[in-house]
Amino acid sequence: MIREPPPFFHRGPSPLARLTFFALLAIATMIADHRFGALEAVRLSLSVLVAPLQGLAAAPGAALARVADYFASQDRLLRDNEALQAKLLEYSAAAQQAKLLAAEQQQFLAMTPPRSRFGAEGVIAEVLTYGRNPFVRKLVLDKGLTHGIKAGMPVIDAEGVVGQVTAVGTFTSEVTLLTEKDQSVPVMLVRNGLRAIAVGSGKGGSIDVPFMPVSADIQNGDLFVTSGIDGTYPAGLVVARVAAVEKNAAYVFARITALPAAGVDHHRFVRILTSPRPALPAPPASRPEERRAPARGRRQP
Amino acid sequence: MRPADLTPVARDVMKLPAGPGLILASLVAAYLFNSLPWAGWALLARPDLVLLVLVFWAVHQPGSVGQGLAFALGLAMDVGDSMLLGQHALAYVVAAYGAQVIRVRVLSFAMLEQSLHVLGLMVVATAVIVLLNLLLGSPAPGPAVLLSPVIACLAWGPLTWLLYLPGLRRMRREAAS
Repeated sequence: MIREPPPFFHRGPSPLARLTFFALLAIATMIADHRFGALEAVRLSLSVLVAPLQGLAAAPGAALARVADYFASQDRLLRDNEALQAKLLEYSAAAQQAKLLAAEQQQFLAMTPPRSRFGAEGVIAEVLTYGRNPFVRKLVLDKGLTHGIKAGMPVIDAEGVVGQVTAVGTFTSEVTLLTEKDQSVPVMLVRNGLRAIAVGSGKGGSIDVPFMPVSADIQNGDLFVTSGIDGTYPAGLVVARVAAVEKNAAYVFARITALPAAGVDHHRFVRILTSPRPALPAPPASRPEERRAPARGRRQP
Repeated sequence: MRPADLTPVARDVMKLPAGPGLILASLVAAYLFNSLPWAGWALLARPDLVLLVLVFWAVHQPGSVGQGLAFALGLAMDVGDSMLLGQHALAYVVAAYGAQVIRVRVLSFAMLEQSLHVLGLMVVATAVIVLLNLLLGSPAPGPAVLLSPVIACLAWGPLTWLLYLPGLRRMRREAAS
């Protein structure tokens, strides 16, 4: 007969049993989070708990930055001011044109069902930190659920698209940058209207444009803007400029590398476009396999 | 007073247990350290202080800190670092298990050998996280990631000294009274 140890020595399950239990739990958590995105509620509630600690840890850096800002040299401010003035003039001309175009578009839209591809509403957000994830670079912004931010909203700066909101906390949200691996945006070449998909390369802050035939009319310096066909990004936002085109007849596709137009990782303020997504038109019923939107930004882990 | 038997294991048995306040405070401080705005290669080389403190308590006080707390802390780290939920949890649970298995052995060594044992645990935990991310298709991290366990292992000595102090002081006080 095996004698039970006295309750004094009772210590619950063995370490190995515990390890098995917790390891399986951790793996189940990862699968639930990665495959199904099922743990947003858990993440949200935990983020509320750790938010004060995060804020406390960020405080010294923020204070230093503020002091540095305060002592920013006069001539740098003057220079910035001049640049901003120039930009303002440049944009005011464009804005007047845009007004005209918008008015025209209104007239056209009045004739068709009410559905605009152009997003106008947005929220200005400050970049709090660059996420501390060494595998996926992200920005953490100071606007979250309480400001009406939702996952999937595009984020832009003065020059172009920065990325896409991929996770939302109560008061903060995370933006996955355009240049991250597998982050894709449907784009259009301004010069000739050629459609393509821009995919982040994940290294060196560049963007690849895969699956373009060697014969495609793409040149260095060409500008890609969002085409707006995915229902995530509004049309006409500047995405990237072609930096290198490598055409080798031995391959079916050309190798096209582009650089993002936006300062993808050096800005303090960005704009989150919050206008409601236009509904996609119903897909043709005959080809059910094409029903998925072509390139929504993939959820990043 | 007769000098007590001060072989390392006996010393550990004689030590007064640390209160939950000290454990909590040390873990919160470590979490704050991990949450500093690290970036670039410094982020890769960041010693995981939360894991180190966790291993410390798992070795010195297995009754109060175990795999359950390791799992919870791992989830907190995943949320803080905006990573896939569960990967730090897995790494921490594995490290806590390792600490439980080798704790008696570790405590019988001097500080240098203790640090080397801790280095092993740190390497395993880092490897778990890096391998998981490679599996998920992330690009390989830079070589700076190798620094992280080494720095953590160097911090083991100072950490032991720091977290022993309150207990030592209490022991002296009680011996004096």
